[in-house]
Amino acid sequence: MQFILDKIAKFYESSIFIYGMALLLVYALLGFFSFIAIRRYLRKESYTNYDHLLTSPLTPGISVLAPAYNEGLSIIMNVRSLLTLNYPRFEIILINDGSTDNSIEQLVKEFELVPVDFAYNAKLKTQPVKTIYKSTNTAFNKLVVIDKVNGKSKADAVNAGINIAAFDYFVCTDVDCILDKDTLLKLIKPVMDEKSKRVIATGATLRIANSCTIDSGVILRMKPPRQLLPRFQEVEYIRSFVLGKMGWTLVNCVPNVSGGLGFFDKEIAIKSGGYDPQSFGEDMELMTRMCRYAYDNKIDYAIRYIPITLCWTEAPVTVKIFMRQRTRWARGLAQLMYSHFKMLFNPRYGRAGLILMPYNFFFELLAPIIELTGLIYFISLLVAGRVNTEYALLLLLFGYSYSVMITTLAILWDQMTFRYYKTWREVLFLCSTTLFESILYHPLIVIFSMRGYFYFLTGKKHTWGNMQRQGFGQVTAKA
Amino acid sequence: MAILVLNPLQVTNFFMPAIRNFAGLPVIMQIAICFIIISVALIVYIQFRLFIIRYKGHRLEQKKAKLVPFIDGLITEHILMRTDIDSSSDVNSIIIDTAAFNTPQLSGKESRQILIDRIISYKKGFSGTIALLLRKLYQDLEFDKVSYKKMNAFKWSKKIKGIRELVDMDAPISDVIVLPLTNSKHRELRAEARNAYIKLSKNEPFKFFDISTEPLLMWEQIELFKTITTTKDISIPNFARWITYSNNKSIISFCLKLIVHYKQTDAAPAIVKLLDNKDHTLRAEAINTLGKIKYLPAEDQLIHLYTNQPLTCQLEILKAIGRMETGRNIQFLKQEFLYSTDFDVRKNAAKSIIMSDAQDLIDELFQSSTPENKLILKHAMNPLIKY
Repeated sequence: MQFILDKIAKFYESSIFIYGMALLLVYALLGFFSFIAIRRYLRKESYTNYDHLLTSPLTPGISVLAPAYNEGLSIIMNVRSLLTLNYPRFEIILINDGSTDNSIEQLVKEFELVPVDFAYNAKLKTQPVKTIYKSTNTAFNKLVVIDKVNGKSKADAVNAGINIAAFDYFVCTDVDCILDKDTLLKLIKPVMDEKSKRVIATGATLRIANSCTIDSGVILRMKPPRQLLPRFQEVEYIRSFVLGKMGWTLVNCVPNVSGGLGFFDKEIAIKSGGYDPQSFGEDMELMTRMCRYAYDNKIDYAIRYIPITLCWTEAPVTVKIFMRQRTRWARGLAQLMYSHFKMLFNPRYGRAGLILMPYNFFFELLAPIIELTGLIYFISLLVAGRVNTEYALLLLLFGYSYSVMITTLAILWDQMTFRYYKTWREVLFLCSTTLFESILYHPLIVIFSMRGYFYFLTGKKHTWGNMQRQGFGQVTAKA
Repeated sequence: MAILVLNPLQVTNFFMPAIRNFAGLPVIMQIAICFIIISVALIVYIQFRLFIIRYKGHRLEQKKAKLVPFIDGLITEHILMRTDIDSSSDVNSIIIDTAAFNTPQLSGKESRQILIDRIISYKKGFSGTIALLLRKLYQDLEFDKVSYKKMNAFKWSKKIKGIRELVDMDAPISDVIVLPLTNSKHRELRAEARNAYIKLSKNEPFKFFDISTEPLLMWEQIELFKTITTTKDISIPNFARWITYSNNKSIISFCLKLIVHYKQTDAAPAIVKLLDNKDHTLRAEAINTLGKIKYLPAEDQLIHLYTNQPLTCQLEILKAIGRMETGRNIQFLKQEFLYSTDFDVRKNAAKSIIMSDAQDLIDELFQSSTPENKLILKHAMNPLIKY
């Protein structure tokens, strides 16, 4: 018996060693790839004149979709902010997903809306649309408001928006997100700049708005969040977007275009079936389905990311809300892997099947499980007195220093892109956060992910996540 | 509450035996130690780089903040506020005090570049004698030589900078140098060269259309369109030439857009020939162009083609008939509106019926249509709904 147990333990240890080394290698590669991708982007950007796009009659139109549920606290300011986007041909489609607050009354009054006889074509099935509004004031002629029955998911609301979108491309954002005024110009550039591939989606970096100075929906001054939990998220976002997704974009293997801000090819999105209202990670799920559709229909596609920050979102400040968010994300990932398991290691799906899905499976889905089992195994060895303390601490220090190095590298790439914070002290403040991330923040992620997997397995019910936002006031932080 | 304070000396002492006995350690531990050292060294280096990046950016900003007002003052004094010139002055005979621009403050490479950028910026904002005087200043300071040097550099990014500076300052560039670059494999360089060629070529500004094998990307089309439609004294050819002979689909597509802009109805016969093209995207663009230039002789041919076309082309045909506003094929539109199973077909047919202003037919359709078709009609008629 002891012999078998020893053999299992040996096998486990060897597997974990290989897994760990592979993970470190992936991060090193991503660091290298992202450096090349950012350098290329910046060089191209220095020769780009966006004014041509602003004045050209050839500029493609874009529909901006903003679903909202009980966002009455900030809805007017956010819609006003969306209407000021710097682009010659766009429409804002605000989808009020059966809010129980006075969002719709506020909108009708503020933007002089009237119900219109709109020929609604439900290409994607959604909950019924009650009324579609347009403004009688020409200043707001870019705005369309859909008032629909609550679909219990953001996906259902966005699908209704896609159904009435007039243009070939749409941008999906959250109504509480703050967008850079040049967002549409920057997001369409990779589509127009592609030689042979069809760009089916584009994404950009998201940041945390919590401590930024904001006035009337415009970021006046970027600052790292003062509170620890949002600051950890800022660091995580920088690593994920600037290092991770920029690295993946170089090899055309972007796993996901964020729900906070994503640019999509409408035709492919509709033909793929639109957002899945049953999914907890609807953005990633749609992306995977769009890739799958492209492979099935032999469309040579590309998904692109740009390293500059175009969107700011309010991060959860309490552990309770953060737990809800991360549980939902983990559940969405488990759901995605389950429903698209056929793609895993399937050469028919090219890079998506051979690189993307295996990465998601091993290093995203399994990572929390492996970490937790590893911790349990380590404690059992500790109790049995079979741990060489010196070696164990060296290995811990090895993992810790590597993770700090990778995150610091991501901050460097971010600063290379643009000097987002005004002072050196703020950058240092953010860098210092990386020292505590693996000790304080990462364990939370592991626990909440396990919670998400548990809910996935037990099939707990789901509704629109209530983020309990504080909203962005006129000026949310003192300059 | 007990606070654990790690003394660096204690930490070092703890790991020293392992480090001293490095050769005797298992391979995994050796790798771990190497990685720790590399990681720590990289963290320190990255912090240093962060500091350098921020410092350099800050220094450049400060330099610009100091130099730009100084340069603006010089340009104002020596160019803009000159009282000895008017619109009839011969610019070549005017003497500019270049010594004022050769001060120690403006002597470094970085400072000279700021000065070049400033002159270009002013040149873009002025026309007439002032613009010519700014160009003279650029030449007198021998900045054209600097730009030529950049254009002949090995790096594509430098080449672009050089070409852009020369074009912005209307400095002559030989066709022989630019033309090969219009077919460069490097997208940015290719685009810049094409823009330059159109602006600077005295003989055949569109010659590169003949030799282009690389596709004209959507972004390049936007840039070229702007250059072509805003450059003065450019002779606009009949774009039907490339519609007929070019093998480059993107060139044909771009020419269709230019035909619409310049309303070249005499190009229509060449466009009609495109209706037989196998590429349905190109066919749809051709139909769209025929509608926009209101080429009425093609209307019947479009209707004849309709049944065998894919949906994108069918929609373009419906739009084209609406744009032509002849009213001759109103029955065809009515039929599509009433009997098509496709929502978009009915919507576009309705829009074209509304455009043709056939009030009797609209009233009749309101009476006889299904509730969904009535809604489509109302949608098409509502001035608040644009699309």
